[in-house]
Amino acid sequence: MTIDIILDGLFTGGVYALAALGFVMVFKSSQILNLAYGQMIAICAYVLYWLLTSIGVPTWAGIPLLFVFGAVLGFVIERLAIRPLMGQSFLALLMMTLMVGFLIQGVIVLIWGVESFNLPFTPSGLLTIVDWQVSPATFWSFVVCLVVFLVLTLLFRYTMIGLGMRVVAADHTVAQAMGIRVKRIFSMSWVMSGFLAAVVGILVGMVWMVNRDLGDIVLGKGLPVLIVGGLDSIPGALVGGLIIGLVEPLGGYLAPAIRDIVPWLAMMLILLIRPYGLFGQKEVERI
Amino acid sequence: MLPSGTFNSRPEQDIAIVRTKTQWAILIGGLIFMFTVVLYIPLAWQSWLIFVGIYTIAALGLHVMTGLCGQFSMGQAAFMAVGAYTTATLCGRYGLSPWITLPLSGLTAGVSGVVFAVPALRIRGFYLVMSTIAAQFIIIWYLQQASWLGGTYGTAVPQITVGGRPLDYVQYWWLTLALVVITIFFAKNIQRTNTGRTFVAVRDNDKAAQVMGVNLFRTKLLAFFIGCFFAGIAGWLWAHFLFYISPNQFAFKTSLWLLGMIIIGGMGSTTGAVLGVVVIRLMDKLVDELAPIVSNAVPGWSTQVAPALSLIVFAAVVIFFIMVEPRGLYHRLRRTILYYRLYPFSYQR
Repeated sequence: MTIDIILDGLFTGGVYALAALGFVMVFKSSQILNLAYGQMIAICAYVLYWLLTSIGVPTWAGIPLLFVFGAVLGFVIERLAIRPLMGQSFLALLMMTLMVGFLIQGVIVLIWGVESFNLPFTPSGLLTIVDWQVSPATFWSFVVCLVVFLVLTLLFRYTMIGLGMRVVAADHTVAQAMGIRVKRIFSMSWVMSGFLAAVVGILVGMVWMVNRDLGDIVLGKGLPVLIVGGLDSIPGALVGGLIIGLVEPLGGYLAPAIRDIVPWLAMMLILLIRPYGLFGQKEVERI
Repeated sequence: MLPSGTFNSRPEQDIAIVRTKTQWAILIGGLIFMFTVVLYIPLAWQSWLIFVGIYTIAALGLHVMTGLCGQFSMGQAAFMAVGAYTTATLCGRYGLSPWITLPLSGLTAGVSGVVFAVPALRIRGFYLVMSTIAAQFIIIWYLQQASWLGGTYGTAVPQITVGGRPLDYVQYWWLTLALVVITIFFAKNIQRTNTGRTFVAVRDNDKAAQVMGVNLFRTKLLAFFIGCFFAGIAGWLWAHFLFYISPNQFAFKTSLWLLGMIIIGGMGSTTGAVLGVVVIRLMDKLVDELAPIVSNAVPGWSTQVAPALSLIVFAAVVIFFIMVEPRGLYHRLRRTILYYRLYPFSYQR
């Protein structure tokens, strides 16, 4: 029984880690905390639902289409909302992403109303691993999460794009002087973050239902993970996600009422002990 | 820039809040207008006016915190909730007079703000935002869980009575206005004091301020305390106006609306905070008028138009201001006044 809970928490932690990864991608390159990310994920889940049921696209075509949608969404937001504000104060950018999130949420509520939906391919029943039973949706999310992290690690280590992103993350001016197009890297990081939003959108659409609070839920889980792991660390997002995923059901096991608040409490604790997160760089500051 | 023929020859003139005779006239005329206008408007607008007052106090708290001291808070609504629940408990359960719970509401909200600010104040920016978001979620979650506070369903709050009779809308507006005037005076005045100057120094460059001998930790905590104190006062007004409070009234969205209000008005200016509140509340009123029209035009959307529109309109307005007028309405107002002061040589700046 307890093992079940721990496994479930671990697997859910994978989803949290992916959610936090989208923040990290953008923050690492451009020092912007993208608070619209929760709503980006939500609208991806809705669009997938709409493609599969209202339009009738088959699942094998719908998911690649959604990836394209996510990437385009990230690109458009960066180009229209974020780039004009380059060099503005931290609060202006923070508010801008928040307001973009509000806009997306407004559109969601306007089109789909307050109903909640189930994605048609959501697996039902329970999956048995050795002798422990877990929900298949969370299990597959965990697998996807590991794959995504592997791919990203390889990308950052072995490709030119990854190298460029690492240089930009280290220092904008130096990157520019070395002939790296910093703006293009920013744009690229948003596209990747939008792509991730599509991946996470599918997963959270399966794990939780597609409903209007999805964006807020994801934001509410992703932000504590982000702080626990450190704002600019990719392994931090993975470890933070797993920690929060584990701590949450354990807290719920001890006292059911505090389950929802456990991620935030863990975050406050980390802020007290290690203010820069477990893996974050010491000085995270807008230059 | 001062009007032609007015010169500051003494330090007191330089720091005066109300400087010229015209300003005195506008101030007195405006106050008389605000006190009497409530007598001639319909009930719906009276309650709108009272809410403008309540939001103004909360936004001014945010102005001291964010505009002056540069410490962002996304949990202002939760601190309003602390104030509201304080008066609901003390006044409703233990029968204290509302006039005693007024400062107590502010105090509890201020202290809770300080509690959440302490872990985050060692570092800057994002982490404080995170901590205040955490405050928002944790406080509202606690209010939903605590059965002795009514849980999700909320709790009733006794009305304020004067001479045995409960206040009606008109009298409640007078009470609100009095508190608003005191708050505005306080917020204006703090900018002239040593404390206020320390706040601004910390906002502009906290390292430099520290080198100049400013105690950073104490200053930031003080700013947080004052900001949350105002929120508590706003919560007190809110509770006694609605007679009934529930955790859902103090949602995360309200905190963001307050932040949007001071951005629209213009960061770091008292007038701006008030302007921002008025503009956003007017937008809200406009959406209320607009929603039935849209839902009639598009029958499929009937139920969700109002919440969706209010989100979209609010977001669009704030985005417009961040893009086009990042320094807010107050800056535009100043420019306009300057234009007429220099007329016909306005191009001289």
